[in-house]
Amino acid sequence: MTTTTASGPTATEAAVTDPAVLRDDLDAYARGLRAWLASEPALDRWRGRHYPNTEERIADHGLLMGVLFRAGWNRYGWPESAGGLGGDERHRAVLYDGLAAAGLPIPAPHLMLETLGPPVVHFAPELAAAYLPAYLRGEQWWGQGFSEPEAGSDLASLRCRARREGDTYVLSGSKLWTSHGATSSRLVCLVRTGTPESRHRGLSMIMLDADAPGVTIRPIALASGENELAEVFFDDVVVPASNLVGEEGKGWAVAMYLLQWERAMYAWLSAADALRRLRDLRGQVATRLAAGARLPDGSAARLGAVYEQIIALRARSAATVRRLAAGDTVGPEASVDKVLLATVEISLFDLARDLLGTEFVLGATDEVRAWRNEWWFSRSATILGGSAEVQRTIIADHVLGLPKEAK
Amino acid sequence: MTTPGLDDATAELLAGSLREVLAEGGDLAAALAELGWAEVLADDPARATTLLFAEHGRALAHSRVLDDVLLAELAGALPAATGPRALLYPLHSDQPADPRGPLTGLLLGGLDGITEVVVPTALDAADAGDPADAGGATLRILPAELVAAATQPVRGFDTAAGWLTVSAAPAGAAGPATPAGEAWTRAVAAGRRALAAEIIGACEAALAIAVAHTSARVQYGRSIATFQAVRHRLAEAHVAVESLRSELTVAWGSAGQADGGAWAARLVKLRAGFAQAEVMRHAVQVCGAMGLSLESELHRFVARTAALDLLLGDYHTLAEQLGTELLAGAELEPVVAI
Ligand SMILES: Cc1cc2nc3c(=O)[nH]c(=O)nc-3n(C[C@H](O)[C@H](O)[C@H](O)COP(=O)(O)OP(=O)(O)OC[C@H]3O[C@@H](n4cnc5c(N)ncnc54)[C@H](O)[C@@H]3O)c2cc1C
Repeated sequence: MTTTTASGPTATEAAVTDPAVLRDDLDAYARGLRAWLASEPALDRWRGRHYPNTEERIADHGLLMGVLFRAGWNRYGWPESAGGLGGDERHRAVLYDGLAAAGLPIPAPHLMLETLGPPVVHFAPELAAAYLPAYLRGEQWWGQGFSEPEAGSDLASLRCRARREGDTYVLSGSKLWTSHGATSSRLVCLVRTGTPESRHRGLSMIMLDADAPGVTIRPIALASGENELAEVFFDDVVVPASNLVGEEGKGWAVAMYLLQWERAMYAWLSAADALRRLRDLRGQVATRLAAGARLPDGSAARLGAVYEQIIALRARSAATVRRLAAGDTVGPEASVDKVLLATVEISLFDLARDLLGTEFVLGATDEVRAWRNEWWFSRSATILGGSAEVQRTIIADHVLGLPKEAK
Repeated sequence: MTTPGLDDATAELLAGSLREVLAEGGDLAAALAELGWAEVLADDPARATTLLFAEHGRALAHSRVLDDVLLAELAGALPAATGPRALLYPLHSDQPADPRGPLTGLLLGGLDGITEVVVPTALDAADAGDPADAGGATLRILPAELVAAATQPVRGFDTAAGWLTVSAAPAGAAGPATPAGEAWTRAVAAGRRALAAEIIGACEAALAIAVAHTSARVQYGRSIATFQAVRHRLAEAHVAVESLRSELTVAWGSAGQADGGAWAARLVKLRAGFAQAEVMRHAVQVCGAMGLSLESELHRFVARTAALDLLLGDYHTLAEQLGTELLAGAELEPVVAI
């Protein structure tokens, strides 16, 4: 059996605290992080913890980010100009993996940070300098306003307008399905600055305060009852033109840039968390078996298969993360990562549902409630950020080079 | 690693030469010797092995080159060879034959020119001097002519592989049993990585056939590759092959460990079996009647990858084995690090 994690920290390992070393030497960062995660007593409060609702969960995860920030660990991988300590995507990937391996949650705000942070750093460094430090400290987080009531898979059909007035834009329209929308301090929105028919050529990306006058936010619950999403209305909201992320009319290019992280980092982060949850599930099943429960036929083979799927996803997405860190452009092939991720999420949580059996349907413990909530959330893996069908079409078009789909 | 490894241009050249030799059905061993393969292999075992076996799979070749991979791992545990060797593969997964009964197994080819056959057998409690070896394998050596007398050509799903089954070879005729220690584990791991590469080559070839067929074939006035149902099946097949390729790279990362990276090698063999099932299911469907007739080459890949899946553990068996160990408390290794 292979072991990729080193055993207990030694004095010399724990001693590396020089940020320049941790930035330039990924192994030193990984060792230092592991040692800290294993020894910091303040972290225990986030282990095996359940929350009455999503709002409390995300707020408490914000506090965890504060602890990570003060110790420096979640600042690596982000530029110093934006509150970070330098380094690249690999530092962030090691952090997520380290947290999951130490039985800790990956703080929920990091999901949107991985999607929105890179384009803001790249296209709007002054906005990143102003707002990213507070994000890394877990004091605030951002929502992604892309989807609309009439623009889902066909994102380029979106209609939320931003009209230029002097040094400002005036936003009118709405956004739908905004993750963490009800608790976000800021929104990064894809809006129409061109004519209604301009499709992807007439779009721009802009950041605005969620509490700006004219913004109304309505929480939306997933079927689990958790307010994971929101609908956001804009009634002539005035936003400084300096809040553009990229140039006016170049929003589609910014969105395509962003997709590299949304597909690749999200896949790695989810795989890390999936392995933690499979470990939890195995533990719970072992307890039930010890109490005389029987598993459905074929359970062992399914467990083996799901574990292997997680490793395959890790293998693929680690390579993609390394490419991002090397500055490569990750193109349509990132859809492979997304398809693998969706397969893992669906099969892991279906397995949990089937192994927990009656408990899953009737049980009322915090643990079972968490499995049910996550089962519902796992269904979004084939929908959000480009559905399973959209990903397959991208692969058919741009990777396999098949003739274009019949219209 | 201090070795420079194979660069892309050299790898491409080697692949081209191998493709030529394999397409002509020439003598692979002689061609490899001419290419200076031993050096290439020593220089970059991961890339060289993957390249060779992928071309082997793509060409639907049959040879005993897999024997070389396993025998190289076993050599240290065996007495010096008296002549060319072949390996008898277990019929079921990596479970060595029971030495108390008549020996059964699979050979990758006829025994002409072979002097001795290496037979992994389950370790007798009596043989296990060191309790650490219990549950492992012992290696026995049988004279080739004795084994040859007990062979039948495989007339199963893949008639072109040139494999032979061995039933009832006389175990009693075997020489002294040598405990294999971790050598058998390492040999199985190396074999699984090679087989995964061979399955990649065969899957790529089958997918290429399906892409070409569906792009050229016109129904309802347009190429059938413009229908979403067809496109999505081909996309899924592509995902299966790519995930296998990534996992194989990872599996090579632990090949240098004492057990030969057995855990990751088992995972990649499982993935290879799953990938071939996925690719072949989709490829056959999108090719219509052509895909299941002798008019197309596709059926050869379906049959070959089924045979390769079986060797050293089919994916259903491996998943069950793995899941059973995990339920019993085996560590959920992360395997991949950034
Ligand atoms: C949990 C969750 C979080 C989300 N978070 C955010 C967020 O933070 N910000 C944001 O902007 N959006 C977010 N979304 C929205 C998400 O991006 C959209 O749901 C997604 O783009 C799909 O759009 P839709 O739901 O309107 O489905 P539709 O586009 O209506 O699709 C419905 C079904 O039709 C299929 N379909 C559509 N077009 C095609 C086609 N051409 N070929 C084949 N099949 C097709 C789809 O695959 C899908 O199965 C979130 C969604 C979920 C579930």
